[in-house]
Amino acid sequence: MSYPTDSALVVDDTGTAERLASGVVGLGLVTFVFSLLGLTQIVTEETAILGVGLYDFLAVGLLLMGVATVGLGVGSRVGVFNTTPDATPGAVTAALFGLGGFVVAGLLASQLLGFGTLGWLAVASLIGGVTFVGVALAPEDIGSTLPPGLAAIVVGLLIVGGILTPAFAWEPEGFSATLTGSMAIPLALSVTSLVTMWAGAKAYEGYGSTGRQTAAYLLVGINAVAIIAVLVGLLLFIASKGVGPAFQGFSLVPFEWPFVTNGYSFRPEVINGVFPAIVGTIWLVIGAVITGVPIAVAAAVFLTEYAEQGRFVGAVEIATNGLWSTPSVVYGLFGYAFLVPRLGGSTSLLTGMLVLGFMLLPLCLITSREAIKAVPDEYRDASAALGVSQWETIKSVVLPAAMPGILTGVILGVGRIAGETAPILLVMAGGLRDDAPNVLGSFEFTSAPPFVANDALLQSAPALPYQLYATITAGVSAENATEFGWATAFILLLVVLSFYAIGIFSRLYFRRRLNS
Amino acid sequence: MTETTTQDTDRSETAGASSDSQTRSQPGAGTESTPETWTDYEFEGEPKMAVSGLDVYYGDDQALDDISIEIPEKSVTALIGPSGCGKSTFLRCLNRMNDRIRGANVDGTVTFEGKNIYQEALDLVELRKRVGMVFQAPNPFPKSIRDNVAYGPRKHGKVRTDFLAKLTGRDDSEREDEIVERSLKQAALWDEVKDRLDDNALGLSGGQQQRLCIARCLAVDPEVILMDEPASALDPIATAKIEDLIEDLAEDYTVVIVTHNMQQAARISDQTAVFLTGGELVEYGDTDQVFEDPQSQRVEDYITGKFG
Repeated sequence: MSYPTDSALVVDDTGTAERLASGVVGLGLVTFVFSLLGLTQIVTEETAILGVGLYDFLAVGLLLMGVATVGLGVGSRVGVFNTTPDATPGAVTAALFGLGGFVVAGLLASQLLGFGTLGWLAVASLIGGVTFVGVALAPEDIGSTLPPGLAAIVVGLLIVGGILTPAFAWEPEGFSATLTGSMAIPLALSVTSLVTMWAGAKAYEGYGSTGRQTAAYLLVGINAVAIIAVLVGLLLFIASKGVGPAFQGFSLVPFEWPFVTNGYSFRPEVINGVFPAIVGTIWLVIGAVITGVPIAVAAAVFLTEYAEQGRFVGAVEIATNGLWSTPSVVYGLFGYAFLVPRLGGSTSLLTGMLVLGFMLLPLCLITSREAIKAVPDEYRDASAALGVSQWETIKSVVLPAAMPGILTGVILGVGRIAGETAPILLVMAGGLRDDAPNVLGSFEFTSAPPFVANDALLQSAPALPYQLYATITAGVSAENATEFGWATAFILLLVVLSFYAIGIFSRLYFRRRLNS
Repeated sequence: MTETTTQDTDRSETAGASSDSQTRSQPGAGTESTPETWTDYEFEGEPKMAVSGLDVYYGDDQALDDISIEIPEKSVTALIGPSGCGKSTFLRCLNRMNDRIRGANVDGTVTFEGKNIYQEALDLVELRKRVGMVFQAPNPFPKSIRDNVAYGPRKHGKVRTDFLAKLTGRDDSEREDEIVERSLKQAALWDEVKDRLDDNALGLSGGQQQRLCIARCLAVDPEVILMDEPASALDPIATAKIEDLIEDLAEDYTVVIVTHNMQQAARISDQTAVFLTGGELVEYGDTDQVFEDPQSQRVEDYITGKFG
């Protein structure tokens, strides 16, 4: 143990402790990545490196990590390593480790040693309590390294010793799910490696506040990277399933992309496509934006610039937030019960547009209000002092300055509604079709009010998300329904991403106009 | 008193007060009862703006207490005093910017060329066109330099450069260019920005931004320019430029300036009004006289730094 009275301001020697700790963190990262791959079944227990099973490899690594971590803690305590630990790792750490001890001991006692309910509860509580008290009372170096190190050693030994094998299966009573060894092993590996890395990162900086900061950075960083990895994994998964069928018959010169340019013709010799559904989705989004966004922005202007901040505004705010969290199927039901009977009596593209417009309204209202509130009052004062009326000020100063924020709301909202299925199911429901809705070409002028008619708007039209649902789940007769569905999902993803791209570029344009 | 709103002000009283002789003194209701105030100031000509019996409340707090003052035309009037004494509030009464502050209650009369500006029939847009304002912190719009200067004339319909105007051949682009050039020259900014009129105004330095704000104010041809500590956020060189500019402006415009900086007031102003804590106007007179021979002991203490 060493508590130096004069801590060095500059520490540049890379000692044994630092090397050991970075080894722990590096090994931990490798174990963590592979165990995540194991959880997603990309690698399995059959994967072997140099004739040795992958999990055995990882388990040996975990064992080494555990030993090194314990060594780091004890070394710091007995004064081998020059560190600056605090008096205690803190109550939160103690509580979490106590909980971890409870879970590990409980699982070991009930699953391996075969204790009854009372028995494993007693063992788990004992171990958990001892861990909690021990960690809470121990100095920081011991308290934050011993529990993770020991856990890593135990898990490593279980796997290496052949006790926790892929053949292991646990069926918790009351659950119909089974935890098999091929899931349990990577799960145990990932959790223990993560906690041990945390301890290693603390040890690397010699504990204390720098140690805690580095350890926290490590966890937060891994978290961020893991989320991005999940996202990318998801996209790649859909792409890998969908690209094949979506690009069937694709050629660049002459340009042919049957899946995108064909309708669904029910003829075996033609490649079926989703063109009508793409057009339907685009019309839906355009219609929803035209209905929802102007009302939302106008309401936001009124609530922020004109209305007295009081009960009325508060009530509107609560109503808006409520609307935003209303499930989409409720919107659909409203459209089905209220709009459909009033707009031609059958499901139609127009009702779909209106319902999605209502869904877009609350989010756009909330974000537009925030954007308008964020415009500095100096602009309004300057404009008023020049003798410019309030409405002119809003039009030519406030709204342009709030535009990027307003567009952010529109982008988010469009992302939500473009993939919405439930309301479409109720108010628009168009099946597999060969022809796209011809909205522009269907406008007709009539001699009687309302002087304009549009058949395409009043007929049901297909949309990508609904078509996806229909082909995969509802068993609408289609050959290769699953492949067709994956390809549809891929195209839906592309369409939504292109809406995002349009939104982001227009936001960039407005932002540049404000700043350059 | 707090119940009285601006609409209740008796206008006939003002009309009587401002139809006096050429050279006039401002007795001020409190002169005899409270001998600590010296606000008589005699000058030639009609006052451009006259204030009498002005009380301002923010909720229950009184910010200004019975202020009476007359501001001569084409001169620089400095308002000085410690923080929180109400000089900015007073300034904002002169173009009714206080209307924009919730809970502000103005009582009394303020006349502009003999007309009460706190009457219901007043056209706020017209008033603020003729009584312009420059704020403490530079506040250009996030637009190009040209758009900033031309903002007022465009919004007032004095120049039309939009698509429709171009289509119908009533394009005022040349006139707009003239206004922009004249205003920027008056604000001593033309030489620095003439090659980049279409750049964003936020790219200018703080001093340039403030002169741009002055140019923006000048572009609508005001008669009175109110300045609320226009140089307090600027460095000494930019401040010197603004001060030179104010002295030049006083040849054509009536300038009323609030400042914390007593040397600045002494350098640039023709007459000085000293506000002291509690929202009272304690002394008003010729700048040299106020600074060299103040009649009030409190003002002398304030100016010599014995009391902040």
